[in-house]
Amino acid sequence: MRLRMAARLVRGLLVAVSATGLAASAEAQDKAQEKKLKIGVIYDLTGPLAGGGSELQYTGARIMLDQYSAKDVEGYKIEAIYADAQSKPDVAINEAIRLIEQEKVDMLLGFFSSAQCVPVAARVEQLKKFMWITTCISSAVLENKNYKYVFRPQASGDQFGMMTMDFIAQNTKEKLGKDPKDLRVAIIHEDGAYGVDVAKGNEAGAKKAGFNIVLREGYSATAPDLSALVTKLKRAKPDVIFHTGYNPDITLLLRQAREQGLKFGALVGHGAGYGVYEKLKEGLGADVNYVFNTDPISIWLANQKSMDPKLPPIIKAVGEEFDKRKPGIAIRSAHVGMAASNTYLFLTDVLPRAIKKYGGIDPDALRKAALDTDIPEGGTMLGFGVKFHGEGSPMAGQNERSFPVVIQYVDDKSYVVWPKSQAQREAVLPLPKGATYSNQ
Amino acid sequence: MQAFLDIFDIYLLEAVINGILLGGVLALLALGLNLIFGVIDVTWICYAELVMIGMYGMYFMVQYYGLSYFVAAPLTILLVAVLGAALHYLVIAPLLTAPPINQLLATGGVLFVLQSFATVAFGIDFRNLGIRLPVLAFGDMNFSYARLLSFLAALIGMVAVYLFMTRTFTGTAIRAISQDRQIMALMGVDTRRIYLITSALGGALAGLAACLLVLQYDVHPFVGLSFGPITFLICVLGGLGNFIGGFIAAFVFAEIISLGGLFSDLEWGYVLAFAFFIVMMFIRPAGLLARRR
Repeated sequence: MRLRMAARLVRGLLVAVSATGLAASAEAQDKAQEKKLKIGVIYDLTGPLAGGGSELQYTGARIMLDQYSAKDVEGYKIEAIYADAQSKPDVAINEAIRLIEQEKVDMLLGFFSSAQCVPVAARVEQLKKFMWITTCISSAVLENKNYKYVFRPQASGDQFGMMTMDFIAQNTKEKLGKDPKDLRVAIIHEDGAYGVDVAKGNEAGAKKAGFNIVLREGYSATAPDLSALVTKLKRAKPDVIFHTGYNPDITLLLRQAREQGLKFGALVGHGAGYGVYEKLKEGLGADVNYVFNTDPISIWLANQKSMDPKLPPIIKAVGEEFDKRKPGIAIRSAHVGMAASNTYLFLTDVLPRAIKKYGGIDPDALRKAALDTDIPEGGTMLGFGVKFHGEGSPMAGQNERSFPVVIQYVDDKSYVVWPKSQAQREAVLPLPKGATYSNQ
Repeated sequence: MQAFLDIFDIYLLEAVINGILLGGVLALLALGLNLIFGVIDVTWICYAELVMIGMYGMYFMVQYYGLSYFVAAPLTILLVAVLGAALHYLVIAPLLTAPPINQLLATGGVLFVLQSFATVAFGIDFRNLGIRLPVLAFGDMNFSYARLLSFLAALIGMVAVYLFMTRTFTGTAIRAISQDRQIMALMGVDTRRIYLITSALGGALAGLAACLLVLQYDVHPFVGLSFGPITFLICVLGGLGNFIGGFIAAFVFAEIISLGGLFSDLEWGYVLAFAFFIVMMFIRPAGLLARRR
């Protein structure tokens, strides 16, 4: 009897032990199989750049990453680790290194400010990690650097500057009633990598169009006073002002321009602060009416008829999620869609290819996958296609198919007015009579 | 010759007058700091952040609680005065006898605390009071009404503080404390009270600056970065504790920025102003109006 009981006990124990063992080995197997891509995400959540658009970019990227962290990409879980660059290049570098060395992220994504992008890209390339830039536009980030691991689907700064000049050049005679050589243009910009680069594009475009550049000047985005610049603009009497700035320097300049009675025919902005309509409206009131802005197209304004049919539902979902996170915003900022689209591009095109075709998520696999990307126009939410300049090209890592568009704010709505293929309406040019800054 | 004469146009005059008006803004900012930094020899590196808190006070009172500007302004001045007194009581008082570097580091810490507090409490958005003042036009020249108000406030503030310091017992006691902290207690003066009054007064002047700056600038947690360093330089250039010197220094600085910016790049205006400061520190280390020894 006792023997039988002992045998039963031993049998029971054996079953328990083997069951535990099996469970443990299954768990170990699961762990081994749980593959994960850790993405370090860096934007400015504090400091002046946060309100200038960086926090909106963060929101756009986060909407997409949150969605994908809930599901796998080719068997890989997505884990995003967020860091705040505090609007300071040194903090951006330190955070990038911390994420790579301590948090052991597989790659970096994000970056709003060109002043941060330039040094961070150099450092990340040194560390042979993969970097996916969603936002910063300065050509200086990639020009003649021949980086292997840094990629930017976003249009570059000189493309911004050239695009706006092209827009004005095509409208000079018809709308402004002048010969190009008689058109007086002023190019003003914040003096960081971003402003300088766009202004470089502006200047090249102005020379190509044959405009008369009456003033070209940079200023510090934190300058407490811009009245001397306004006085110089009054003296130079430009027909069109091309401006690149963050915020609050844009509102300071335009407020002082109103107070000092500056008049002009058109004001063309280039992203960053000009992309945050709510803040412009709050600071300038009705004066913001008819101002132009240049940016990658807002995903909510992009021409959906010529777009890959799988994208419109995603655009709708991003918009709904944004409205939930930031209720009560009149115009959904282009910043949000820019980061969302570029993040989506990585998660749905580059990453799956790296895993399937190149066997994993190491920097070389991601790099090869990015170089294989070949998306025609209309294949992204931003309307443009994607093909990266390869090694040996002066702009290695830059998307050669991206382009910005010119939009105009009219009565609390934004409309694409250039290029013609994307235009939703004719541009109101020059500023109509009665507008605060109108020179009519 | 004609090119040279062309410089003397209406825009030059406008730049000169704009320089004077900018000088008013800077003089207003320097007034309170001069009292604290210059007279009682306490270093408030976070002075511009007190102004920032005052600007937020104005914004919320006017925009959220619907108070009129003229009701909100005295409340803001009171708020920042209390903040100034609290800063002294909590941070400076325990460090009064410590080396000045400790005060500098402690108020430097307060600077980051206030910036972070504003970021957490109010967010990173730029906020605008939404009051648009009319523009003053004289022929082709136009000027900011808000800046004219700042100029007048700075002028009246400077005269009032000067009279207070020279004509009242408390003012005399404040000046005396700056000469010898220890001996004043032996003369029957309650030094703790005097420090507290001076700090509250310094805070109130920061509050006054906030009321006028909020008409010209957006409020955000880092607005102090644009003004902090330049305000310190003006106090030093004018001669620490010398209100008339500080007033003049603000206008000299502003004119260099304005005219330098008109004749060259805007950035050069600031470079020239700072270069002028360095040179003056060699020639007149005790300030513009210091007597030669």
